[in-house]
Amino acid sequence: MIDLNPDQERILNWRINSGGVAGVIGPAGCGKTTTGSFLAVKIVCEGYARKVLLVAFTNSAANEFCRELSILLGPEAAKFLCVRSGYAPGADTSLSIPFSNSIEVVRTKKIVICTTQSLRRLSGCIKFDNMIIDEAGIERLEHLLSPFTLGINQLGVNLMKDYISYETNNIIELASQSGIVATVVGDPKQSRPIGLADYDLSAMEWVLRCTKYDTLFTTHRLPNKLAMLVDEFADYGGLRAAHDIAARRLIVDKDIDNEFRSIINPDEVITWADLNGTEEMAGPSSWYNDIEAKACVKICCELRRVAPSKSISIVTRYTEQRRIITRYLRSLDVNVRVLTSTGALGTQADIVLFSIVRNNPERIVGAVGSLQDLNVAISRSKEKLIIVGNFETMLNCWSRSYDMNHRIKQNFPQKLAKLVDAKYGEVVQATSLLSY
Amino acid sequence: MNTGILDVRKTYNYLRKTQTHLVQSSEIATACVCQNLFKLDYPYGAIRSDKDYLIANTVHDIMSLCIGGPIIENWQYNSNDYENLTEKIVHDSYNIINEIINYTLDITNRENRSIQHDFKDRIDEIYHGLVTGICKRLMKKYDKPDRIITEITITNIKDHHEGRIDALLEYHHGYGILDWKTYDLNKTISGREKWQLIANNLLANYRYCQDEDDWNRYNFSCIVHNGGAYFPKLETIKKEVDKIKINRKFAFEVLCGKHVRAERPSFCPVCDKGMEGSKECLFYQIDSKLAHEGKLPAQYDKMTRQFFAKRYAILKERAETHLHKHVASTLIDQHGEEEALQRLERTGVICSGYFYDFDIEERVVMSRKDADFSLEPRRIVRIIGIEPKRPFLSCISEQASVMDVSNNKITLSFRSKVAVRRAKKQLFHLPIIMMRDELNLTRSMLRPIHQFHKLAADIFIPQELLPK
Ligand code: SF4
Repeated sequence: MIDLNPDQERILNWRINSGGVAGVIGPAGCGKTTTGSFLAVKIVCEGYARKVLLVAFTNSAANEFCRELSILLGPEAAKFLCVRSGYAPGADTSLSIPFSNSIEVVRTKKIVICTTQSLRRLSGCIKFDNMIIDEAGIERLEHLLSPFTLGINQLGVNLMKDYISYETNNIIELASQSGIVATVVGDPKQSRPIGLADYDLSAMEWVLRCTKYDTLFTTHRLPNKLAMLVDEFADYGGLRAAHDIAARRLIVDKDIDNEFRSIINPDEVITWADLNGTEEMAGPSSWYNDIEAKACVKICCELRRVAPSKSISIVTRYTEQRRIITRYLRSLDVNVRVLTSTGALGTQADIVLFSIVRNNPERIVGAVGSLQDLNVAISRSKEKLIIVGNFETMLNCWSRSYDMNHRIKQNFPQKLAKLVDAKYGEVVQATSLLSY
Repeated sequence: MNTGILDVRKTYNYLRKTQTHLVQSSEIATACVCQNLFKLDYPYGAIRSDKDYLIANTVHDIMSLCIGGPIIENWQYNSNDYENLTEKIVHDSYNIINEIINYTLDITNRENRSIQHDFKDRIDEIYHGLVTGICKRLMKKYDKPDRIITEITITNIKDHHEGRIDALLEYHHGYGILDWKTYDLNKTISGREKWQLIANNLLANYRYCQDEDDWNRYNFSCIVHNGGAYFPKLETIKKEVDKIKINRKFAFEVLCGKHVRAERPSFCPVCDKGMEGSKECLFYQIDSKLAHEGKLPAQYDKMTRQFFAKRYAILKERAETHLHKHVASTLIDQHGEEEALQRLERTGVICSGYFYDFDIEERVVMSRKDADFSLEPRRIVRIIGIEPKRPFLSCISEQASVMDVSNNKITLSFRSKVAVRRAKKQLFHLPIIMMRDELNLTRSMLRPIHQFHKLAADIFIPQELLPK
């Protein structure tokens, strides 16, 4: 059985006893999916609602919900109460929850799990009196409106029209007043819809701006130093490591080779391997840095040798860098996951390497400089974070991007560099890694 | 190397700031019927048909394989015995029909979707009707073509026009264009089918003559429907081309967010017959009238402004799905096809040199000599078979998504098993280029905004001002 932490308990009790639309901010490793699944189960099993819709942005996130529900309810009850709808090839059929788009089947189930894009496959005549919408940080407002349309209480609207028109000033309030009960979960500091204009708000930001919200502050992923770094970097206002994992450190099975000792250093949770690689343009909007890619691969090889059982991920902002690193790793037959920061959302690993890529005399870091990309990259690891890239470029870069409330612009790369150097980690020269 | 990449990147950056919308032939046809009807689709997002297109789609799949198989194989010019010929073709099509029906049933079964009890009979009946139309009318008038290609997507960037043609019949002296409808054309009233056919003719002209107004290669165009065929005369078509162009421009400007006045047709066939769309049309007409007169409550006014901002943001996203095609076309205009494609390949926008290996169900495995290519899993690609003397974006193509890339092999997932069969027949033997593409999901995103717009109207606008 999964135990809830006090943050999760508080949020569960709040959402069970309140209606309308509300937000829950879930920083890295704080158990958003677990909280959402618990909430759905509690709502249905204790009779707070007849039908709950669980919406995820991707098929893998929807499958993750199904997995959690199967654990919480047990396979038999999950099979009886839940149904996975939407895009059949995207559904994990190894789970006990059946897949169906048939109105008859969906009607008989209490919890329906679907992705945002596939909601159109659900008939408009099926209504939900409660919904949990995950990953709203990556969604636009219009994404949020599609599940909302399945929760409008038309009868209530007709009866309460005058009151509603008096109370309502924006779309989120209109949704709340129209009988929609939705818990919108996400983290605008980790994700942002692709291509959304700088001044525009994501679905999650709309919710946070227009209605009540609470934050999950206990991370079960990040050890204390990392939790503190992420908290101060993204300004969460109190993110902390859960007691049982706070002191977690990397343990290696063998002596670390001299060349890598300061970089892999298990006593230090965060290390910045300062490297002077060369950035190159690729694709319509991508970049790569071959020296950095090779350095990452070298570090991974050593990590595989000294800590073979550990999971390792390399995160980078650019698809081209991912492609190059993957190719090198494959040629050496090293098993390491390489992800872009968008793809890394929702993933974790014991050890994470973050390849910065950008390095130029003008100190332009482009998309690497965004709060969300940096935050995701530094908040994936359970034991050790190694940032690979030019420290000076980041420290003195010109990047300025909006923080969540779009009021002030901040230089996030600089902020990260300063925090790692001065408070939470160590910057080490990694010139030896330049030879391959 | 950098000059080439820089050039491509500059083109991307430049085009991102321009309007890269494409108007589909089907949308031009809608605007020709009524410009308001087009606006109900875009930007309002008001039209969503709950109709199940399973039968129509299955018949389209069957036709797309049979026309290049049993139909062309049994083609008899000016035969008097069309009934026996029809029976022979239907008989020879048995395996294809059965395979596609079983495949459709398998998919609906996997998705646990219900299917109407007489599904198989309806398919047989419609297919029989279409083959009758072809034997009785089309074969009566026209010779056996040299080859038939089906489900061709043609993109004409210069004229912001794109469309998918059911079938092109190629003769040494020109082309015939074929469209099939699963219903009886005599019972329809809007003329939409005709407009779509003419719009597609412009695309076919572009494919065969590089100029949509060049009718030299035009041979005939035809809509085959249940039991018959309709052949518009070339003079009629030419007379209507202006209307197509006016409405294409109208649709393009609406998509770009320009304020263009929509003209209501003098005879309003849709609303007069009470078909879908009329109620919504009235709603938006009154909504904009009230806005114009300043009678809308402030809260509602503010909210609808947000709705429109969202709608146009969605339309902008729709335009971005066409960006890669625009870049390819611009570079081809600037540097010629060979140089442009080389530049695009160096930048990773296109990938060439693939050969078909094998297929399983909807998946196709292809390989190339080396492993140095830029495609990644989950990317959407347009697989283009380069045909000599045809504009790049009018060549035979299919859309697929990349499932897996390992060493020199790539696994692609096609829309369906039928698309794979079609590609094996008409695409894979050509030199293959894969170009990055995007899915267009805008309609499903506009719909909820429309629903909330109406909800807001219901709450904020005094009842007496709204349509009953
Ligand atoms: S109601 Fe008339 S004007 Fe409106 S969309 Fe229909 S046909 Fe056009």
